Amino acid sequence: MTNPSTLQGSHAGSLEALLENARLLHGSLELEALLKSLLRSVMGKLVVSRGLIALEDLSTEGTQCHVVVSRGFRELPQGCLFDPEQQHKGIARILTIGDPHKPTGHLALGKPLRGELGPQEIEFLEALLGIASSAIENARSHQRSQDLNRQLDRRVQQLRALLDLVRSLTSSLEPQQVAQILGLTLAGQWLVRRYAVIAWKEGHASAEKRKGMSSIAIEELASELEEVAQPQAVEQLSPGPLRQALEDNQAVVVVPLVSADRAIGLVALGQPAGNRSFEAEDLEFCAGLAAQAVVAFENAWYFAETVEQKKLERDLALAGEIQQRLFPSSLPQPNGFQVAAHNRPALQVGGDYYDALPIGETAPGDAEDGSASGHYLLCVADVSGKGVAASLLMSTIQATLRALLCPEIGLAELVSRTSALVFATTPASKYATAFFLVFNPEDGSCRYVNAGHNEGLVVRKDGTVEALLPGGLPVGLFGGGSYQEGEFSLQPGDFVALYSDGVNEANNAEEEEWEMDRFKAALLRLADGTADEIVQGTFAEVDAFAAGAAQYDDITLLVLKRDG
Amino acid sequence: MANEFSVTRSTEGEITLLALEGFLDAHTAPDFEAAVQQEIDAGHTHLIVDAQELTYISSAGLGVFMGFIEEVREAGGDLKICGLQPSVREVFDLLGFDALFDIEADRASATARFSETPSGGTS
Repeated sequence: MTNPSTLQGSHAGSLEALLENARLLHGSLELEALLKSLLRSVMGKLVVSRGLIALEDLSTEGTQCHVVVSRGFRELPQGCLFDPEQQHKGIARILTIGDPHKPTGHLALGKPLRGELGPQEIEFLEALLGIASSAIENARSHQRSQDLNRQLDRRVQQLRALLDLVRSLTSSLEPQQVAQILGLTLAGQWLVRRYAVIAWKEGHASAEKRKGMSSIAIEELASELEEVAQPQAVEQLSPGPLRQALEDNQAVVVVPLVSADRAIGLVALGQPAGNRSFEAEDLEFCAGLAAQAVVAFENAWYFAETVEQKKLERDLALAGEIQQRLFPSSLPQPNGFQVAAHNRPALQVGGDYYDALPIGETAPGDAEDGSASGHYLLCVADVSGKGVAASLLMSTIQATLRALLCPEIGLAELVSRTSALVFATTPASKYATAFFLVFNPEDGSCRYVNAGHNEGLVVRKDGTVEALLPGGLPVGLFGGGSYQEGEFSLQPGDFVALYSDGVNEANNAEEEEWEMDRFKAALLRLADGTADEIVQGTFAEVDAFAAGAAQYDDITLLVLKRDG
Repeated sequence: MANEFSVTRSTEGEITLLALEGFLDAHTAPDFEAAVQQEIDAGHTHLIVDAQELTYISSAGLGVFMGFIEEVREAGGDLKICGLQPSVREVFDLLGFDALFDIEADRASATARFSETPSGGTS
């Protein structure tokens, strides 16, 4: 430091001091250090015990001024507002730093201990402040560029976070994972310790990631959430259950997750740690991240649905396979009779079933004890439901029939016991309408039970058609029950047609049904053919009528014809 | 996945060391979260995350730290971080983690800090 005595004596000393200060001040880009050093020099040189430097705020265009360095003024500490126009206790002199019309700041000094300042001292002070002014400008612009750099770094970090999020979201096919990734990214980006990410869709479990926000039961708030179009501070929400729930969980920001104007979820963020807060720019960025997550949620849900759909398709394919295996691979052809049958499953696997079984092991003609040995059981059934469930019911009916079938059992009893067993082993909603027919190839005599099924049709050689009406409830609908047997006899050239309602209800593109009249007329037209020709011919007529229209139900037709 | 990440666990007295290696990004953060959760579920609250072999960290990775710090400190423990590579350290500082977490140069100093200030750090 220059000795005060030489300062008074020589200009050279002052110049030297100025130069030293200029070097010092311009050498520092650290604003606070620079101002401290400036104040130190001034106070030392002029021997004042109190001094402060206040700078005009950059942001407020010079309308406000804050103390940056303060020594000896207890009422004016660092950071407090400073008005250079106002009288302050203990301040003897205020000098402007920089252009007086647009000052950079102010230097305020207490009373010099040596008495009033001389003109040389004031000259020195002014020269020093001139140098300081440009040094302050330098330091400030350095700080500005540092701030900008830091802002830029943050921006870059935000973009990295976005990129990272997008990259891992594209490979996330689990909604839960999407919620987790979004939650972690937000927590890390804004130093948030409490948060919740919740997304929901009908038919899916809600995807949630929560930290310390357990009591947001958000599904009930969905409608209110739709009013919140943008990320918002919770305190700006209009009062209501949503705001209440968020406040109860100490959320300060809510980000709606919106897909096509529909709220599909929300993000709630707690107070950031440290002294950070959510600025408009942060909310904007939150919205960007949320938008990415919405796409990922939608994708994940869509994927889950596709998987479900595929499972369903596999299920149907399996059901179709089971069903096809239940049909007899070949049909018995007793002497003097022909049996033909065909089933065509609808697009979705339905539940039609037919079977033809010989009764007893013995050959025809051995029946001398009045038993049904040598007779045949024919059956057409339409089971309730579709898919695997229907196939299983079919298989239950088939197994039960085969297990119970013996020459000694009467037809009505067979049906009643089958019904009781099916009822006992399947849910109440599972049942089947069925037509059972037992015929004796020796004489063409037939007994039948129609368990709630379509009427069987007997077509006589002379062109008359007789209907075989129901005599009991569907199989498996109630436990047991009694069934009424009917009887008729097939004469040479006669045939009987058993079918499912898929035949008469076959539809064309106009949703018209084929109906019984057309069915009967077709049977009459085909009556001269073999059983197989009647079956094939009927299907051909159904196809001609439907003209390619998709069928909703299985179509099954079984024909027993006595040779003419 | 192309970017490998692993957590290796070891103990030193009541302190659990989790050594991270590779890329801690949104994709691998759930693994790290599960590893920390496991410790907390087991009642281990004196945790040191050794990041010496960590080459990259994203916001999602930092999110894992945020999610546990309160819980761990409330339980009388702490989650200290050590061995940050400069590029990783930059991200910690940029987002303000340096003010919140006890970040140490290496394992030894992090371990030593536990005996000085078990529930260390600011906040």
